[in-house]
Amino acid sequence: MRIRFELNGQAAIWEVGAGETLLEALRRHEITSVKYGCDTASCGTCTVLLDGKPVPSCAVPAGRVDGHAVLTVEGVPEEARRLGEAMAREGADQCGFCGPGLVMSVVAMRRELEDPDDEAINVYLAGNLCRCSGYTSQTRAIRSYLEGTS
Amino acid sequence: MAVRTYVKPTSLSEAAALLAAHERAVIIGGGAYLRLGARSFDVAVDLYDAGLDYVRETGDGLELGAMATYRMLETDPLTRAYADGVLARAVERIVGVQMRNIVTVGGTIYGRYAFSNLTTALLALGADVMLHRAGRVTLEDFFQRKPDPWDILASVVLPSAGGRAAWQELTRTCNDFAVLNVAAVRRDGELRIAVGARPGLARLCPEAAAAASGDDAPARAGEAAAAELDFGDDVRASADYRRALCRALVARAVGEVLS
Repeated sequence: MRIRFELNGQAAIWEVGAGETLLEALRRHEITSVKYGCDTASCGTCTVLLDGKPVPSCAVPAGRVDGHAVLTVEGVPEEARRLGEAMAREGADQCGFCGPGLVMSVVAMRRELEDPDDEAINVYLAGNLCRCSGYTSQTRAIRSYLEGTS
Repeated sequence: MAVRTYVKPTSLSEAAALLAAHERAVIIGGGAYLRLGARSFDVAVDLYDAGLDYVRETGDGLELGAMATYRMLETDPLTRAYADGVLARAVERIVGVQMRNIVTVGGTIYGRYAFSNLTTALLALGADVMLHRAGRVTLEDFFQRKPDPWDILASVVLPSAGGRAAWQELTRTCNDFAVLNVAAVRRDGELRIAVGARPGLARLCPEAAAAASGDDAPARAGEAAAAELDFGDDVRASADYRRALCRALVARAVGEVLS
């Protein structure tokens, strides 16, 4: 089936399968920042923004985005660079597999929450699992990113 | 899940026509759980653009569209203000924001998920279900009926007055399914208590509600609920543990709404 949607600010027309997920379609079209993790909508590494809201792309049918807007790390290079640098500085970036999904959740959080404290940040990001960092260094990096000091 | 054709109707009536026209069709509400199954369908009818993603006040009460997401229940001013925000409290720790942006009210109810927090809260609130074919039924009646794969849930309607409400659950880790969950609602002097994740589907506890009087009303209600419900073993807890937990959580919830 053919879908027309907005991908990272640009019009896109793709052929996708009836049973294909958004995650599969994105990766097949070389949007490889989006990672294939748990495949049960639990780990957050496949997070993309659908009409500005973070969703697990592994659980979204590709056909659903027809007529809608999808944003991935490829569409937010400046935010990704700044948050990535903050993560590196705080020692929060280890294997990196959770990074792209985390970036998209942080971008969404920044738009949705006004001046979140650490508790609000942790609650908002509970759906982005990291098996390396233990989250403390991530939280420091995110705070410095939000405060605009990185 | 395997599907041969995917369609995204733009209205409830169009969705119903598509469903009626195919032998092996399925409605996609959220889709998060459905896709994990091994079943195959000729047609998947996704309600995403069918205009059912709303929370609104009607003359009848508070109406939650079938495609209202958990995140909407958490953030919408109407649901936050309704019945001590019990809907938000029931869903706000489920997995993560991403999951709660796709999980829907309709998908939850039609799936009859025994682990559900939302189902427990809706039962205690006295929710009615608006079905495209069968019309309006109470949520208790809906659960008593045989599942009808040819009908579509349009919305859930809650009584205008929310009342006092309490939410209690125990989870082994912060974002896990509940070992047991409890909602209590007091409205116009009437008490409704529901217990879910027993691990069976949530049920009302009329005997517990009737027992909740006197100085030790919370403890009496807890005892009665533990006696009138059945509990089972699963990976999270034993039946005995759940029964003990039921006494404590029901007592706490009732204590809250009577205070």
